[in-house]
Amino acid sequence: MDFILLVISSSTLLLDPLNLTYVVMGFVIGTIFAAIPGLTATLAMALLLPVTYTLSVETALMASASIYMAGMCGGSITAVTINIPGAPSSMMTALDGYPMQQKGKGALALGHAALGSMFGGALGALLLIAVAPFVAEVSLLVKTTGKFSLLAFAIVVVVIAQRGRIPQAGLAACIGLMLATIGLDAMEPITRFTYGYSNLTAGIDLMPVIIGTFAIAEVLIQASSTNDIAAATAAAEKVRIRRRDFLPPLSEIRKIGFVCYLKSSLIGYFVGTLPGAGGSMGSFLAYTEAVRTSSEPETFGKGNPKGIAASESANNAVCGGAMVPMLTFGIPGDPITAIMLGVLVINGIQPGPQLMSDQAGLIAPMLATLLFSAVVLIPLTLYLIGPYFIRIVSVRKDVLYAVITILAVVGSYVSTYSTFQMFMALGMGVLAFHLRRNGFPVITMLLGYILGPNLEEFLRRSLALSNGDPTTFLTNPDSLFFVLLTLVFIYFLVIKKPGKKLAAVPPN
Amino acid sequence: MLVKRPPLFLYVTLAVSVGYFISAIGLGAPVSESGLTPSFFPILVGGAAIVFSSILILQKIRTEPKEPGASGPRNFTHLWVVLAIFIYIIAFKPAGYFISSGIFVFVLVVLFSSFEKLLQKAVISVAIVVIAYVMFQQLFGVRLPTLWG
Repeated sequence: MDFILLVISSSTLLLDPLNLTYVVMGFVIGTIFAAIPGLTATLAMALLLPVTYTLSVETALMASASIYMAGMCGGSITAVTINIPGAPSSMMTALDGYPMQQKGKGALALGHAALGSMFGGALGALLLIAVAPFVAEVSLLVKTTGKFSLLAFAIVVVVIAQRGRIPQAGLAACIGLMLATIGLDAMEPITRFTYGYSNLTAGIDLMPVIIGTFAIAEVLIQASSTNDIAAATAAAEKVRIRRRDFLPPLSEIRKIGFVCYLKSSLIGYFVGTLPGAGGSMGSFLAYTEAVRTSSEPETFGKGNPKGIAASESANNAVCGGAMVPMLTFGIPGDPITAIMLGVLVINGIQPGPQLMSDQAGLIAPMLATLLFSAVVLIPLTLYLIGPYFIRIVSVRKDVLYAVITILAVVGSYVSTYSTFQMFMALGMGVLAFHLRRNGFPVITMLLGYILGPNLEEFLRRSLALSNGDPTTFLTNPDSLFFVLLTLVFIYFLVIKKPGKKLAAVPPN
Repeated sequence: MLVKRPPLFLYVTLAVSVGYFISAIGLGAPVSESGLTPSFFPILVGGAAIVFSSILILQKIRTEPKEPGASGPRNFTHLWVVLAIFIYIIAFKPAGYFISSGIFVFVLVVLFSSFEKLLQKAVISVAIVVIAYVMFQQLFGVRLPTLWG
């Protein structure tokens, strides 16, 4: 209850002009990046990371939260209007949104998408505010052996969740773990894999890893792409949307039903809590459930607003869910929460159970912003500047990528005023580019890199405490719980294998 | 019989994994009387990386080769972008922010478009560099290198 009151009282920080400016700017930038095919809100977050050095932690986290929320709903703009989802999480939205656009109801489809995003985002944020303190308290019961098993669980789940490319995901996770071992050993005064190069003694900084993985790699992907975006631009220029068309009639909202919004949001929230699952999985499962329980399933895929509502409620609810493991255990659920984790780490804050009890004041404004973004910014942004959003697709790509590149490269210089970090960002960008081009999920590499140091430390401490007895991971109840949970996930995702439909969901 | 050749990237990852594994072994014995040593975890990770790389190479060799000419047109712009970034980083401190960034942004704009309307692109590049300068130096207080002083 104290935490809920703290979140309510911290809402006043949104009244501060500076904070509000960053939150609104974050939301608009997140929406723009999510709307442009090829760019993502993750990229917007990566570019924001260097800026966080000059902001207070609260402001940086508030801006991150609004980008996150915007990123989940912004992809629906191009998904509906030109049938190209701006973000993977909006893929299911295109199934019914674009047919509505073809019937001349594109604005109405966007209105339904906004309403679903608003509901899902708000419910996800409320559940997060209500649940996170309890999860944090429970997480205090997890001791050293349990922490190792939990981190191992997170890495295993994020690898096996990459349907059809588990060896690629496994290798990417190993690459992340390798990067994490470079530098000074955490328990003994020994440097590893530095090869006498003093810049590597402190290890590889998080900033160039994130900027390289998400910004520079994206620019290289776009540079190597042979896709002709002229067709998308031409299609976007033909679309005309009026402001008044956005408001969905009450009769249609009633037809969709409160239960659909609620169920889809809950599905999205719980999918969000799983490492690596992400918005596309959440929206897919919610959409499938909406079709399954519908009295007229044949209308889905032909412009049924219920499909849009289910998909968008779920992917925005993912935001709240993904923050639960990030805040309570320091395990990011997706790339954006991984960068948020970076914002915390850069500011010297260690996520985990103690965070919610010792530094709840830093986290509360972020959660208030998540709710504010869902309830106020989503409908307001769509209504005020919605008719112009579709023009975003027509922005000059040469200028856009030049801006992104200079912000990314100079941004990586900010942390240490050293060109070494710029070279590291370039190196990570080239690595991530090749990983992506060869079908490797970069999120598993990032998770390996982020969780690697703790994974190793807890493994060594656990075995030191048990005098080298590995059965300690089965005899400690907290550890046994996560070992069994890992086996359950392996059974359902690898041995039993999910249905063909689920296997068809593109990874985030 | 046609045998599909795995991408060079997989061989590079295998080579790096083997090199990492050997370096990890060079750190010393993985287990000592006091417990696990700093080499234990890297040996584990390096071993796993070798296994995954080998599986992927074998998978690629076993899969049916594509028909010749099935792949789309190739684009090498990304290599030029990497080279441009590399040179930019080298020149960043000695040449200062404005000169290095101005040329760098202009090159990128040309790489992502075409070798036309160069004057317009040069003006856009200068505008981008100035805006980025104002953002970093004035708004966020980041000291950027200058040619003099």
